[in-house]
Amino acid sequence: MGYIEGITISTCINIVCVCGLVILTGYTGLFSMGHACFMCLGAYASAILTKYYSVPFLIALLAGGGVAALLSLVIGIPTLRGKMSADCFAIATLGFGEAVRIIMSNISHPYFGGARGMSGIMPYTTLPWAVGLALVSIVLTINYARSQHGRIALAIRDHQDASELIGVNIFHEKIKSLMYSAFFCGVGGGMMAHYYTYMVPNVFNATVSNNLLTSVVLGGVSSVTGPSLGTAILTFTPEVLRFLSNWRLAIYGLVLVIIMRVRPEGLLGYKEIYQPLVRLIKKAVGKMKGSRASGSKEG
Amino acid sequence: MNMFLQQLVTGISIGSVYALLAVGYALVFSVFNFSNFGFGPVMMLGAFAAFYAIPALNLPLFPSILLAMVVAGIASFIMELTVYRPMRQKKTLKLYLMIAGLGINTFVPNAAIQIFGGGVHAFPSDWARVTIQMGGVAVPRSDILAAVLSILMLAGLWMFLYNTRMGLGIRASSFDTNTASLMGINVNFVAMIVFLLSGAAAGLAGCFYGMKYSVFPSMGAIANKGFVAATIGGLGSLTGAVISGLLLGFLETMIAGYVSSTYRDLIAYAMLVIVLIFMPNGILGKGMHDKI
Repeated sequence: MGYIEGITISTCINIVCVCGLVILTGYTGLFSMGHACFMCLGAYASAILTKYYSVPFLIALLAGGGVAALLSLVIGIPTLRGKMSADCFAIATLGFGEAVRIIMSNISHPYFGGARGMSGIMPYTTLPWAVGLALVSIVLTINYARSQHGRIALAIRDHQDASELIGVNIFHEKIKSLMYSAFFCGVGGGMMAHYYTYMVPNVFNATVSNNLLTSVVLGGVSSVTGPSLGTAILTFTPEVLRFLSNWRLAIYGLVLVIIMRVRPEGLLGYKEIYQPLVRLIKKAVGKMKGSRASGSKEG
Repeated sequence: MNMFLQQLVTGISIGSVYALLAVGYALVFSVFNFSNFGFGPVMMLGAFAAFYAIPALNLPLFPSILLAMVVAGIASFIMELTVYRPMRQKKTLKLYLMIAGLGINTFVPNAAIQIFGGGVHAFPSDWARVTIQMGGVAVPRSDILAAVLSILMLAGLWMFLYNTRMGLGIRASSFDTNTASLMGINVNFVAMIVFLLSGAAAGLAGCFYGMKYSVFPSMGAIANKGFVAATIGGLGSLTGAVISGLLLGFLETMIAGYVSSTYRDLIAYAMLVIVLIFMPNGILGKGMHDKI
């Protein structure tokens, strides 16, 4: 039971992070190579709050997300202005990720613990918390994606110039997406810290960022439930295919290439997982109504 | 003073590695307007080709460097042939090309760790390890070789781009790929040349990096610094790439030597952010304009 529970909790943590990244990569079309650093920032912020200031868990998580979102401005403002290429943003996120890791490893303040990291964090992330937070972030992200903000983001991704012509402030919208994604990664990082109860800065390396991106791409770029499903697949499959564990990272990379090459919109593409279900129900309801209507006519 | 000169030599040799990598990025970007994130593995494959060829075939140093360039060029071309070209022909978003590149960047080194082993190897050349005393400064032969061959390679590239018909075709494509193809330039052929050339530059850089440090499967990560240099120099600008690559190498060794080596890896990124704040198009970048 503990084993399954552990995998489920890790999946939920990843789902929270992926919910943020899907808005940035899937909807806005910005490509980040270092989102693990926002997890790192959120993890440290919330862990310090609960450990040294006895702040309640939920508030600490939100604060961690807030810290990550604020610090995302450090790369957002220089690299998302004007007509700058998305490549600048990608390499800047990579650099920011490295920078956060190196700085965190070299802070000598006792709260941070430098390269030895923090230990003795309260184990607050239990199964109900993890599942609850994952569901909440899925619902929030679906709502965000269906709102004006999500639609503007899609417009920017597909036709940046055209959307600017109809009066979209591209810089503001991109910053909004970046802060949204950083916030959720921060919350996810906080959950991770309170699940493992210890952490070192090196946990949050480029591999983590790559895995997040792989889940988004595998699940579907313009869908929220798709990437959540993708995360679940990517977290559960390595457990089943233990004998392939050495090749895991290579397979992740191959999956990215093959999906981009064959079906760049991902498994679910532009659909949500519940949409066929909703359609089925609507159809069934419509049939019932229809038969009732015809029945009443006959009667 | 001697210490300064010593640092300068190191800075130039690592700077020329960055410059070669940055030129590879800039070449591809200037024609196809996307950054080839699968560039690091190409460099690694080139270095491994030389690493295995020297003991196995008893090759001397220079032919093995040439072999590394050829292998890296072919690897780079295979990448374009199997991944980028079909995607380009489907006119996919640039984002997807970049993600595919990142996928290559994850797949190849991790597969290489399984195939070649994760160990760190010394570059098997005794000739390169000998140091020469020059007025109190010890210069390894590999540093001189790196500087000289990089300059030769860059000069050759320059001559090729500005003095041949094919170079003219490449420059025309980099100005406007679609119009160039309408004017009868075979874009797929240009793509082949561009990827072969950038791969060869990566192979050369891989050999020098291997001589200076070591050969290992994840050595391609250093290509990120080349990418930073390409961005600082202005995406798509070859001159900018060379200048900022050398500058980056110089600053890194100076700061590692005189200030602290802990934050050495941060310098590249700090420089990137500072340059992007004040010069959003890089040092020598073309102004970005709308293409509708």
